[in-house]
Amino acid sequence: MEAVAITGLGVVSPLGIGKEEFWQGLIEGRNGIEEITVFDTAPLRSKKGALAKGFNPKAFIPPLKIRRLDRASQFAIAASKMALEDAGLTINKDVPPERIGIILGSGFCGAVNAEAFHRGQIVKGPGDLNPMLFPNTVPNAAASNASIELGIKGPNSTVVQSFCTAEAAFLFACQQLIAHKADVIVTGGVDELSAILYRGWSELRLTAWDAGDGERSAPYDLKRNGFIPGEGAGIMILEREADALRRRARIYGQVLAFAFAGGAAHPGEKVARAIAGALKRGGMKTIDFIDGAGNSSPLLDAAESEGLRLALVDRYLDIPLSSFKSMLGEGIASGGMRIVADLLILEQGVIPQTINYAYPDPCCRLRVVKEVLKACVRTILHTGISLDGTYTAMLLGRANGVS
Amino acid sequence: MQDKKRSAVITGMGIICATGNKVGEFLSSLKEGRRGIREITLFDCAGYPSNIAAQIKGYDPLDFFDKRELRRLSRVDQFVLIAAEEALADADLSRNGEHVGVCLGAGAGGMLSAEIYHRQLLDGKRPRPSLLLPFVPSYATDRLAERYNLEGPRTTITTACSSSASSIAYGAELIRWGEADVMVCGGGEALSELTFGGFCSLKIMDPFPCRPFDARRQGLSLGEGAAVLILEEKVRAQGRGARIYGELLGYSLGGEAFHITAPEETGREEARIMREAIQDAGIKPHEVAYINAHGTGTVLNDQVETLAIKEVWGADAYHLPVSSTKSMIGHCLGAAGGLEAAASLLAMRHHFIPPTAGFEQGDEVCDLDYCPQAREAEIEIALSNSFAFGGNCTALIFGKEGL
Repeated sequence: MEAVAITGLGVVSPLGIGKEEFWQGLIEGRNGIEEITVFDTAPLRSKKGALAKGFNPKAFIPPLKIRRLDRASQFAIAASKMALEDAGLTINKDVPPERIGIILGSGFCGAVNAEAFHRGQIVKGPGDLNPMLFPNTVPNAAASNASIELGIKGPNSTVVQSFCTAEAAFLFACQQLIAHKADVIVTGGVDELSAILYRGWSELRLTAWDAGDGERSAPYDLKRNGFIPGEGAGIMILEREADALRRRARIYGQVLAFAFAGGAAHPGEKVARAIAGALKRGGMKTIDFIDGAGNSSPLLDAAESEGLRLALVDRYLDIPLSSFKSMLGEGIASGGMRIVADLLILEQGVIPQTINYAYPDPCCRLRVVKEVLKACVRTILHTGISLDGTYTAMLLGRANGVS
Repeated sequence: MQDKKRSAVITGMGIICATGNKVGEFLSSLKEGRRGIREITLFDCAGYPSNIAAQIKGYDPLDFFDKRELRRLSRVDQFVLIAAEEALADADLSRNGEHVGVCLGAGAGGMLSAEIYHRQLLDGKRPRPSLLLPFVPSYATDRLAERYNLEGPRTTITTACSSSASSIAYGAELIRWGEADVMVCGGGEALSELTFGGFCSLKIMDPFPCRPFDARRQGLSLGEGAAVLILEEKVRAQGRGARIYGELLGYSLGGEAFHITAPEETGREEARIMREAIQDAGIKPHEVAYINAHGTGTVLNDQVETLAIKEVWGADAYHLPVSSTKSMIGHCLGAAGGLEAAASLLAMRHHFIPPTAGFEQGDEVCDLDYCPQAREAEIEIALSNSFAFGGNCTALIFGKEGL
């Protein structure tokens, strides 16, 4: 596989805006989760969410355009701009618009605008519909609005694949680069917390609630009882590594290997199959860190643990593992923010902790990082898990020739 | 890993739409120019400027599913599974799950189910939260994969009206890449009040059955259904003596970077994307013998698409048959690209050009050969256009086997 390098990062997150604030939040173990005040959670068992903090769209988007854009589109534009700037790429100058693409995972799929438009249909009736709302009900609104705002004309797509949404988009982006469909691709995940989906998840009893120990995102903890919905954007700039080296770009890391597995039955085995596939392709012997998909859901975290044990056999207890969803919540496309975190770990040699890990669960026997850890990290295993039956495993490593 | 020798051919097809719930019925409706656009009975259209769409009539889900299964399947999921059943049988695959993946396109098909939830909520009732599950576009992908134990890669593409066309392009790439030997592609759509009201709010809904490219056209007619195509690695398909409908020779997934709903008005961007697909296929424009147009019936789309075709083909454009099968099956949004790919492949296999039914007279710009009646023709290479909100344009090029 032709190597794909990551050369730029952009973040809008519950821990702050931009990679510096994000990283600071991660290593301080700051909790990005709080009581939701933007909509009413009174009738629901769950009350908390991981909302993006300190986001001022005016810093990134002309004021007249802001009101025409949904929040997810604003996140996507802001994070994409930050990432391109970080990569030192200017469209038209460094790359022709037709040779740069955008492929994003977007989890909440225009749900906020869809709800508002449909509410208008029911409450006001067909005679008085707001035509401003409808275009942004499409799931591709975020990526497409970003392409319009930034002038990106190459491969343009949006992907949803349950909780592996950002990972699926990332792999699509890698494929398009390797097939030379573009020279640069903006990829990652973007989410905007939707009141109606939050409600649905709470009613389906999938989200965390206060059963005596507080409403927490506590991956791998014995008392975890569900995930906490979140939002934000984690965006990366991808290039073929040869191109990035040629233009002397800073390379955060490269994609060493990845693999998919599918099937809702026996999820632990499927997680293991994806991990084993990625390890085989990467020809890897050493993994220095595991970025876990654990989202505080009882079943998902256990399946991940089983998969790691099956795939890594005697090594799984030696490799430090952390789940950033303890601080960022689960946003469907939160894999985007996680990949940004992985690349910062490769750069900084520091592994942020999993917060709220108080009571080890015997079903999740793992070496969970409880205190921020200095370590030489050359290779990271990033898992993506959706219990609906999609599993991804990805190996990220330092770039060739970069020690 | 990208093996240039690997290529994707189509070895199976399944269709359900307003003009037929089997490939055979769909084929005869295309030959006859039969139109499926009639009064909507699925929801109340009082107060809207139109009350017609290509709704699937006489459909009883109990003809296809038992009651227990139906509790978990929304209308669009049912359509996808019906088409998949036919397509998998048509391809006559021995089901070898691990190397079979699913990549579907999705539009707003799950909206109908979410609308029931939302309406009940606004009425102060306590709706069943599982009504929201199909709102996540990857739900249908997962249902399909789980029903047939397909354990390969899963991805759901959500670029509104170009979703299922892009799913075919990416499915083929996953085969070329070696991620799968067989990919189940295509997509589904179900009518919903939100999309119906949405297009009405944009004032692009024709009160009469849509008349693509006709001087009297006033907008689109929505439709619903599903198309599932089985993509298979060419050597494997030939080795097992499978019937081959055609090969995906090339594609382009570009962005216009222009406007969230309107196409770039000179047609320059659409022309570029068709040219990129032609180049990717390694052919010359004059080798394209038929264009299955996006042809929605809106004043702007048909004008711009015609200008784009003229830009690519010059004077030859007047000798190139162009038709919009949306004149018969409506605009099926998330299913549109799949249905139109199927129509293009059937046209090649059965030696005919599907008509733009109801076309009578063009205008100053729309003066190409839009084929108001089906006619016999030998087609070696066909191009299918799909354009979407956000400026997401996909062009697919299919060729007969052995080209």
